[in-house]
Formats: sequence, C-alpha cells, structure tokens
Amino acid sequence: MRRAAVSLLAVFAISAAIPRSAAGQYTADQRGYQPPAGATPRLASGKVDFSGVWSKPYVPDMTKDGKDQKGHAVLPFTAWGEGEWKKYDAANGDYTGACLPFGMTRSVNTPEPMQIVQNDKYFTFLFEQNSWFVVVPIDGRPHRQGIPTWFGDSVGRWEGDTLVIDTINFNGRTRLDTIGHPHSDQLHVVQRFTRPDLGHINYEVTIEDPKTYTKPLSNTRTFTLRTDWEIMEYSCEENNKSLWEGRIKVPKF
Amino acid sequence: MNTNRLLIAAVLAFALVKPVSTHHSFAAEFDANKAVTLEGSVTKVEWANPHIWVYLEVKDEQGAVQAWQCEGGPPNTLTRNGWGPNSLKVGDKVTISGALAKDGSRTCNARTVKLPDGRSVFAGSSGGDNPPPPKQ
Repeated sequence: MRRAAVSLLAVFAISAAIPRSAAGQYTADQRGYQPPAGATPRLASGKVDFSGVWSKPYVPDMTKDGKDQKGHAVLPFTAWGEGEWKKYDAANGDYTGACLPFGMTRSVNTPEPMQIVQNDKYFTFLFEQNSWFVVVPIDGRPHRQGIPTWFGDSVGRWEGDTLVIDTINFNGRTRLDTIGHPHSDQLHVVQRFTRPDLGHINYEVTIEDPKTYTKPLSNTRTFTLRTDWEIMEYSCEENNKSLWEGRIKVPKF
Repeated sequence: MNTNRLLIAAVLAFALVKPVSTHHSFAAEFDANKAVTLEGSVTKVEWANPHIWVYLEVKDEQGAVQAWQCEGGPPNTLTRNGWGPNSLKVGDKVTISGALAKDGSRTCNARTVKLPDGRSVFAGSSGGDNPPPPKQ
C-alpha cells in the first residue's frame, strides 16, 4: 500500500465495528411507528384479506434469528448441498448484483417492503425490490406445467383462515438468501400466511429440496402493516455501477 | 499516530464491519475486514437505484486531492429513513464510514454518513436489519 494512500485523511478504523447507533442516527423503528389496531379484515366472501403494504424483516441468512424472524439454525445438508454451499463465493458471480431475478425466498427476505393485493381469485406479491411481482392463483387450480423459472410456479389454497402458497418448478439458479445458501431445481417452497389482526401477518416458510437438504427447514416471521408507506419504483439496472465497473461479476450457469 | 502506525493499524484491523446491501451480496464487492473512514468534500451525488453513490475529494497529508466514490443504500430505503436527494450537496464536508472495495480502487460501501448539520445517519439499507457476516 502506498504511503500517500495510507496517510490520507481517510483513517482506517481500528475499532471492532463501525458503530450502528451513532448519535443522531435514526431508523424507521426508532421513530416509533405502531400499526393500526383492529380486527382481521376480510373480503366480501369471508376470506381473510392480506392486502396492504407490509414491512418485513431483512433475512440475509435464513439460519439466523432476528427481530421478527426465527431462523433454522442447523441446515441438514445432503452431500451435494454441502458441496454447493462450500464452493459458493459471491465474488465469483453474483446473480442479484447482475440484476437477475432474486427468486421467491430471497425476494421475501429483502428489507424493502412488499405490497399484497388480493381478491378471491388471486393473491399478488408486489415486491419493491427491483419492482418485481408474482401473481398467485388461489381459486383452486393446479400448478401449471411450464418452463422452470426464477420465481417458480405458485398456487394458493385455504386451510381455514390460513392461506398456503405452494411453489414448485424453479430453475435452480437462485439462492435461498443473501449469504448464498443453496437449492436445486427440486426446490419446493410452502408459505403460510395468517393475519391475526389488522396490523400483522404471521408468516412461515418451509423449504423442501431433497437434492440439497435431507429434511425440510423453516423460518417464522412477523410482518407489520405500514399505512404510512407506499411502494416505490426500484430499477436495479438504472445505475448499477458495481456491475459496469467490474466489481460484480455475472455468474455462469 | 504516524503513517507507519496507521499502516500497521490498517493491517491489523480485522474489524467486523456490518455489511449492508440489498440488491447484491456485500461480499461480492466489498471487504468487511477493511473498514475505512473518509473525510472530504462532496463533488457529486447520484440519487438513483439500485444504490446512491456519493463522490468526494479527500486530501492526503501533503494536500494532494484524491477522488473517492462510496455506495449507499437504495434511494427508497434512504427516503424512509429521512434522507432526500438534497441531503448532500456539492461542496458539503462529510465524514463517511464504511468498508473498502475488494478490487483496491478508491471505492467504499458507506455505513454511516456524518452530514454537514452534524447528524450522523445510517447510509445502508433499512434500519434494524442484521446483515450476514462474511461466509466462513
């Protein structure tokens, strides 16, 4: 390292961590937002209505616990799955950095909010992350038999007041989370939504993938209704300097 | 602290920077073990997705100016945390704390930015998150 670079007013920190709570710093949580109180809203049909803009916990690592998040601490890898995990290095190719679709679990994991729009026929995820959406038929139709995709094919069914969204037919190119836990094209994702009151969704996601994991794994989370937020545009491609300047590499599939 | 001591400190400073990034993997681009604090003047702000970029001039001890660029969070998240397109202006004196890029360029991922009015604000993604440590 050159002397000039070292002697910049840029001073390398020797502290154990950059402080997250510097004086005057504020976050949404610290502003003290409370969701509205009230009963579980329902459609005219009597089905639970999950519509709204939802704050959800950022889950970059699905093995970890966090605020509003219970992770799956020990992953039951198969030999193939463990090999995929050990050899993964995002520096060799980061599909999200290249603005390719995050896939279902990683989209729900993002810190950006999502809006749910629902009627008796469809449940729609409107992810702010990269302005992606997923339309889920919930009228009892079976899975489509199409080309495998980044987000897979989702259908929903009701178990009492719980909406169960079942997703298969993934292309196997995504990762479960930011840190890069693997899955294969045999991935089967089951998401269970309940709305115990106006302001909250209880969410459970279960991952089944016999090629990658010997047993299912799951996370449970709480989403919070944000009546003060609207979903905003998020163009991943607009100014993706990190990709253009070569610091992020496009993975080879 | 003289220059040599700074160099030693930099080498030994395996500080665990809390990496934050939302559209991509932090580890793909930045080194969580290389923390940096930059004091300089803003020369340009790109308030655009997927991340804002702040450009600044930083003087070394000899007074020579070096150009740096630092990535912040997505404009949407920063807006919800109280930032705006005019929070930083050309000429503002700021202090940015973050992590260095792996490629050795004068590029950083901003964790906090001390604004001209003295406030120190979170520059990454939404508050309360718990980014992953580097993969072991």
